[in-house]
Amino acid sequence: MMLLEYEAKRLLRGVGIQTPQGHVVFSERDLAALALTYPLAAKVQVASGGRGKRGGVVKVDDAHGAQRAVAMLLETQLDGEASRAVLLEPWLPLERELYLSVTVDGTAGGYVVLYSPHGGIDVESGAPPVRYAPGRLQRFRAHELREVLSPVEHDSVVRERVLLLARRLLMLAATRDCLTVEINPLGVLSEGRLIAVDAKVVRDDAAGFRAPEIDAAIRSSWDLEPDPVRLALQGRLSYVRLEGDVGLISGGAGMTMAVMDLIDAAGGRPACFLDCSANPTPSGYRLAFEMLDADPSIGVILVSIFGGGTHMERVARVMVEIMDERCSTKPVVFRLDGTNADQIPAIFGRRGLVNCASIEDAVRDAVDLARSRGASIVGGER
Amino acid sequence: MSVLLDAEKSVVIQGITGKMGRFSARDLMEYGTKVVAGTAPGRGGSSVEGVPVFESVAAAVRGTGADTALTYVPAAAALDAVLEALDAGCRLVVYPGDGLPVADAIEMRAAAKERGAVLLGPNTPGLISPGRAKLGFMPSTCFAPGPLGVISRSGSLSYEVSKRLTVAGLGQTTVIGIGGDPVKGLTAGEALALLHADPETTGIVYLGEIGGGDEYDIAAYTSHPDAKPTAALVVGRSAPPGRKMGHAGALVSSRRDTHEAKMQALLEAGVYATASMAALVPLVREMMHYES
Repeated sequence: MMLLEYEAKRLLRGVGIQTPQGHVVFSERDLAALALTYPLAAKVQVASGGRGKRGGVVKVDDAHGAQRAVAMLLETQLDGEASRAVLLEPWLPLERELYLSVTVDGTAGGYVVLYSPHGGIDVESGAPPVRYAPGRLQRFRAHELREVLSPVEHDSVVRERVLLLARRLLMLAATRDCLTVEINPLGVLSEGRLIAVDAKVVRDDAAGFRAPEIDAAIRSSWDLEPDPVRLALQGRLSYVRLEGDVGLISGGAGMTMAVMDLIDAAGGRPACFLDCSANPTPSGYRLAFEMLDADPSIGVILVSIFGGGTHMERVARVMVEIMDERCSTKPVVFRLDGTNADQIPAIFGRRGLVNCASIEDAVRDAVDLARSRGASIVGGER
Repeated sequence: MSVLLDAEKSVVIQGITGKMGRFSARDLMEYGTKVVAGTAPGRGGSSVEGVPVFESVAAAVRGTGADTALTYVPAAAALDAVLEALDAGCRLVVYPGDGLPVADAIEMRAAAKERGAVLLGPNTPGLISPGRAKLGFMPSTCFAPGPLGVISRSGSLSYEVSKRLTVAGLGQTTVIGIGGDPVKGLTAGEALALLHADPETTGIVYLGEIGGGDEYDIAAYTSHPDAKPTAALVVGRSAPPGRKMGHAGALVSSRRDTHEAKMQALLEAGVYATASMAALVPLVREMMHYES
């Protein structure tokens, strides 16, 4: 989960990293109470990068300008994400803009430090940052990082300060469950003093059990979703809405992607990534059906589950119960296999349900059903 | 021969009194795995499925000679449980659980390396040496003994593909679930090195996905002149960029993470690579026929 800039900077200040003296405003009214000095930067608060390039950062020279900028930025949407606040900060005279981050890299078995002497909004178009891979906090050695930085950073005062800063970012990542802590630009003020002009922090959703603020943020992000989706996410289903019309209820991330790809290759369009493996219970599967049944753009539902720890005779019984209960007339295609799958034909047979022999068969049936439903809508029959 | 696991390994199940632990104890023993002990703090002295339960892994090792651990505990307790198994001297530890914070995965991985032990996981069904032993919760019926070494980032995908291979008469020496998280114990590259050194394994099948860098280890291996023939399935071609597809590691955040870049690297290295699960088994058959 990506923090807003002002939240990220609060975390940085907590380990003694200097940031601009800013004010967060949530409405135009908040401005009245502030004693602002100009010029300043007004920055929209959304949880995504590239705000500067997309008009989310405005330079402001006076009180009137501040009013206008705040009003405008509070109404701004970037990639469909509504602004949640505006951060007002002094417009600083920077001598240079650097890039410094700590992030998780599987190939390093843990954390890596990335540095570029040319930061700012165009960091991605320049030479790639230099990389130091300590893996874990305990393995960090400033002298090793110094060797990595020396060929690209010739100002020794700046370089030594970057070393100290890198350790703090790594501490933050390792002790506060951050997957990425990025400062870009890292500003150089007079006399080589460093300041975090912008900050991006991604915290680890999996650490919610020991970080109440992560848990709270995840829960409040669910609240932004419409009801059936919110309930499914609360029920620990892993769900990503895609653009197609073939609903997919699946188990296991790799298997779900494999079936999405087969739907795509068969000329269909998957409507979602929906992995129920974290909650393979009657209530989990009910939530999945309720969500897909309620989505008018989904024409058919394909259930594809290959269970290991999940016992498939139980899943089959739950599917029979759900088929008895549900009101939707959307067709459902099944392909269940795995532990105790030999009991499925008897359980399905009593209700007249069919379990497809292969995923390919099930995908073909589902894509055909979606296509004929689409054709009937285009033909004006419904 | 198989890698990592055979019928001689003595297994302790941490959390044996839980639902998964109890099921797994019976399932593993039915398959021929030597399950010699379980642990459940506060329940020492009892037994599950005839297996004695100890207070700690150290006590289990002292009492039974266990050398291998299978760890069924919730994410919040996982790091401590894995460290306990390593401290007690277990040389192979499987942690199947998902939802583990990355910071804990980093510590687990480092602790296993420090001791020269092998950690599998997090987020894996475990591993199986068909016909010999299994250490995890994969459905036994999918697998049969044979010449292939299989490495997978995804559990259910490995069941489906292994079943297809088995039905096609292509059995396996060892099927290794390395897991879907970005930081893990045994990596694809390390699993490859084990399979490379195993004389019974004459072909390798790798099941990968978008995100992360494991696929590049496969490509690097296959570029070596003495590499064993290798086939790969990479799933996630139809997944949109920037969205996490269930697995914490299945996220395209750069060009290198994309399906296209990975397929290109694998094909250029000489891997029998495909994007389609339907095409994989015919491709493996062709590989094994052509290369022998």
